Formats: sequence, C-alpha cells, structure tokens
Amino acid sequence: MAVGLRHFTARAGNGSGEPILDADNGEELVHVQPSVSVAVGDRAPESPGTLYITTRQVIWLSELDREKGYAVYFLSLSLHAVSRDPEAYPSPCIYTQIETEADEVEDESKDSDSECSEVLDLSKIREMRFIPSDANQLDTLFQVFCECAELNPEPIEEGEEEGHNWIFSADQLEDEAGAGDDVEWHFSQNPTNTIGHSNGHHDLASSVLELQINDQRFEDAEEMEQDSDTGHHHQSQHLQD
Amino acid sequence: LFFSYFKDLVGREVTVELKNDLAIRGTLHSVDQYLNIKLENTRVVDQDKYPHMLSVRNCFIRGSVVRYVQLPPEEVDIELLHDATRREAR
Repeated sequence: MAVGLRHFTARAGNGSGEPILDADNGEELVHVQPSVSVAVGDRAPESPGTLYITTRQVIWLSELDREKGYAVYFLSLSLHAVSRDPEAYPSPCIYTQIETEADEVEDESKDSDSECSEVLDLSKIREMRFIPSDANQLDTLFQVFCECAELNPEPIEEGEEEGHNWIFSADQLEDEAGAGDDVEWHFSQNPTNTIGHSNGHHDLASSVLELQINDQRFEDAEEMEQDSDTGHHHQSQHLQD
Repeated sequence: LFFSYFKDLVGREVTVELKNDLAIRGTLHSVDQYLNIKLENTRVVDQDKYPHMLSVRNCFIRGSVVRYVQLPPEEVDIELLHDATRREAR
C-alpha cells in the first residue's frame, strides 16, 4: 500500500463516476458525500467534487475534471479532526494530516512549489482539508473517518501487540534519548525493569530471566529501582560470568 | 495493559506528542485497543510546524503516530505501573 497522498483516476465507466475499489480484497464503500471541496496542502480548495470514504481509504473525485482525483489510505492518515475555528481556516472542514515517506526529512519548501507548478508532488503533502458545502455534515464525516480509521490498524509485524516496546518510565526515556550503546541498554534495563523484555533477543532474554530470578531473591526490589546505576553494574558483572 | 491504563485516564487532560513533533493537548475522550486516541477541546502546544491545527474541537489520532502521551502527574502511580508492567511482561 502506498504511503501518502496519491492521484486517483480509476472511475467506473458506467456513468456513476464512482471510484473503482479493490473489492477482491474486501474494500467497500462506506460513505459518499457530494459537494465537498478539497484543499491539498496550502493550495486553494478545489471544487466541486465528491468524497468517497471506503473501508481502506479516502477518495475525492472532481466533478469538473473526470481525470482528477486524490486518494489516501487510512494507514497514512496520522490524524483527522473537525476544524471550525475561522482563524485556523476560513471554512469549517475536516482537517487531516498525512504521513509521508519522508517524514523525518525537514522539507521547508514542501508546498511552495505547488502554487506555480502544474504537476503537484502529492507524496510530499502533509495536510489536507475536506470542506463540505454543508457544514452540518462535519460531525458525520468525522465519525465515518474515525470508524474507517479503526478498521485499519497497523499491520502487525513483530508481534508487538502487547506493547512490549512501550516506554513506561521517565528514566527509561532519558536513557533512550542519551544512550549510544544499545547492547548496554538491554543489559542495564532488563534487570531493573521488565523480565523477559527481549526486544528480539529471545534466547538472551531467557538466560537473563533465570539470572534475574536468582538475583531478585537476594535484592530488595525497591533498592534496585532507585539504585539503577549500581544495580546495572552489578548485573552486567553477573551476565559476563 | 496500556489500553486499560488509558481507559482509566479518560476525561483527563493529556498532551499527545506525535512522531512528527506535533504536540496536542486535550481531554482524553477515548482510546481503543490499538491505542488510537480521541481528544476533545484540543489545542496545539507550542508548535510552529502545523499552525493550522489550532483549536480544532475533536481529533482522532492514529495510535501508530504517537510518540509520547504526557499524563497529569497526579494520575500516575509509578509503583503500581512498575509492578503491573513487570507482571505483564512475564
């Protein structure tokens, strides 16, 4: 699945002008909202058009230009919101943020080119607004966006469903920010925090687990948390044995 | 564990910092099993990167783009969290 905003031109030829979906993979149309303008990035709103919300993506098709359409997968939508503040944007709209492939790269000129050039690089667009002609529809649209976004959770790759990688203490945060040595971090953190917090090193974790149980019988748990430094040195000596 | 932890925080003010550096403060409206977060009465904290997002009323944040959730300190029982996470990881 492509990340970011894309051009979408696949329309049904039967006159309905509806987008062609990936029905074989279960994609279904959930909601259709006519008379919606779309504002891509900092560009002026484009209209008129129709918004099609499917179980996988959001598609906007222009009513004037049959070759023009945009689509973005829910997997790429970082957030969506109802924007009613006229200072933020003149028209009430659904505001969305799009995760782009190059999200780490700070691109100052991301939208400045788009004003002058015909060919817009959609993959760099980070914000998009949908402006319904009927502002009363905003809440409904927001709900539909929520429901469909919930249908598209991150595909699970490493089996981290239970949040093994979650940060759960401020100490750990500081370590992560400052730590250069990953291996050392695993050793130092495992004894004082979670048992079996393997991060992929399964065998290592189980051997740590065994040692850990032994140590904890000797040590006072509270002491270990507070004296994480001495604890850490103590533990790494053990492991080297 | 964190799903149920966040469920207990519904109604509290939290600040969500996303991986794109945007920080949003709001009342935690709801959270789901993927840790998607819905906030109400949101406002952007201190960020110039996305000024257009100022004071949207509700927003839905995809769980996968959240970097941190800043919790009200009075709501956090560190000892309890430590114990619960240790137990969870076994």
